[in-house]
Amino acid sequence: MPQDASDAARVGKDVHCHRRRESENGVSMAKPDRSLLRVERLEMGYRRPDRWLPVLDGVSFEVEGGEFVCLVGPSGCGKTTLLRLVAGLERPTSGRVLLDGVEVDRPSRSVGIVFQEPTLMGWRTVEANVALPLEVNRTPRGKALRRARALLELVGLSGFEETYPAQLSGGMAQRVALARALVHDPRVLLLDEPFGALDALTRERMALELLRIWRARRKTVVMVTHSVPEAVFLADRVLVLGPRPASVVAQVEVDLPRPRTAEVMGTVSFAAPARQIREALNRAASSP
Amino acid sequence: MTGRIGSRIALALLGLTIFLALWQGIIWLRGYPAFILPPPAAVMARLWELVADGSLWFHAGATLQEVLAGLGLGALAATLLGYGLAHSPVAERLLAPYIVASQSVPVVAVAPLLVIWFGTGLLSKVLVSALIVFFPILVNTIVGVRSVGRNLRDLMRALEATRWQVVWLLELPAALPVLLGGLKVGATLAVIGAVVGEFVASDRGLGYLLKQGQQLYDTPLVFVGIGALVVMAQSLYGTVALLERGVVRWRET
Ligand SMILES: Nc1ncnc2c1ncn2[C@@H]1O[C@H](COP(=O)(O)OP(=O)(O)OP(=O)(O)O)[C@@H](O)[C@H]1O
Ligand SMILES: [Mg+2]
Repeated sequence: MPQDASDAARVGKDVHCHRRRESENGVSMAKPDRSLLRVERLEMGYRRPDRWLPVLDGVSFEVEGGEFVCLVGPSGCGKTTLLRLVAGLERPTSGRVLLDGVEVDRPSRSVGIVFQEPTLMGWRTVEANVALPLEVNRTPRGKALRRARALLELVGLSGFEETYPAQLSGGMAQRVALARALVHDPRVLLLDEPFGALDALTRERMALELLRIWRARRKTVVMVTHSVPEAVFLADRVLVLGPRPASVVAQVEVDLPRPRTAEVMGTVSFAAPARQIREALNRAASSP
Repeated sequence: MTGRIGSRIALALLGLTIFLALWQGIIWLRGYPAFILPPPAAVMARLWELVADGSLWFHAGATLQEVLAGLGLGALAATLLGYGLAHSPVAERLLAPYIVASQSVPVVAVAPLLVIWFGTGLLSKVLVSALIVFFPILVNTIVGVRSVGRNLRDLMRALEATRWQVVWLLELPAALPVLLGGLKVGATLAVIGAVVGEFVASDRGLGYLLKQGQQLYDTPLVFVGIGALVVMAQSLYGTVALLERGVVRWRET
């Protein structure tokens, strides 16, 4: 096992160097990095008092640099577990996650996370919450605050810098969490139903804002959602997970032009992938 | 705002006046001799004597020193051990029976032992005080550190925070309200501890004054001693409460 890990790390480094050489030669400059993130046959479960609960059963997929991927699946199928594995917060029982060719075996700063529940520090002001990642990596205070304020502006929360989280609405709190996930400029953004607790209208507005931010920052995004229209609206590709123990039962490409606006939801090219996703979900739910 | 403070002071003064009137009234009605229940005026006179010859400051200072050292030592030990136990369920299960058992031994019973071991000086009083403060702060530390949410811990892990950063940026501020709650209780307990220690053996301190008063039937002296202890405990409690209010401001509104 340690042998494997070090091999993987070495191979990963080789891949990395190779890519760098390529881009120095200008060969692949125009193309985005291919498969920044690789998830290979992940298996994972939790120990229950009476038995072993399998949660993921051979989940595999790839995400290209700059891509926006949505994960949909029935409640409790293991979406959060999958994101935690990708983030390195949890270790799989088998399989592996490669980020930029290097196996993920612990959490790293190159990943920004927004948790399913609003996760802010109640004793810090909004701007201090956003600046936290920079404080942890010892960025000078003034620079950290400037960056935090710039990101608050990006998520539309200028004027709330000095507010405490207890005074924010749920949607505002998640936007703060989003700003915090972006502030240290991670390569990959993992979002776990960030708009789960919001009403439909706020959700739609937040989705539009997220797209705007994604375009402005050119991040690679993996986002969990349980809303099919939201997934289609946001994603380049939607991965459908089956019921627990989950595996990827379908991958649906979304060929809607960007930048997307709310009007796109009425079109045929929106309805087609949405139907495909629904069918995949239903098929997975009805098969044993 | 000033109006509210003004009316508060007025109310406090009213309460004090009624208290003193009742006190004096009982003496007039029942005719108790001064060594049983001295009139307010006699206590005031005794207080003035003690202030004038400096002995009140001397003894109160001695007790305060024991209290602060005891509170500091007890709080420090309890916080460190509590932090360890909060992170190690095994250690907690191992030590919990002893810690709980130690709580069923009255401090009054342990105090003579501490005097035998550590002498009649400052140290034994500090230790009695620290001992009595220890438990509530220990429990509150464990509760406080355990109250830190899993997601915030994961967030710190994802940011590759060092152990020390996790303590400083997450655990300490998250646990602080509960910690200060423990410290508040500890502050009043520390005063009790110091006085118990002084009762066992001492040549100074408010507890020593109380014992003197009792032996000489100088009841006004006993009253002055009690009053001074109340003031001391109240000020310590008030200081921590003020600190608490400053720190947990973010919770309100
Ligand atoms: N720490 C844990 N210990 C034990 N079981 C867990 C743990 N976390 C999750 N589970 C179980 O694993 C399964 C998958 O959980 P997970 O949170 O990944 O689902 P999910 O797809 O994110 O669900 P939802 O859509 O409701 O957020 C659930 O049955 C859950 O009970
Ligand atoms: Mg979830």
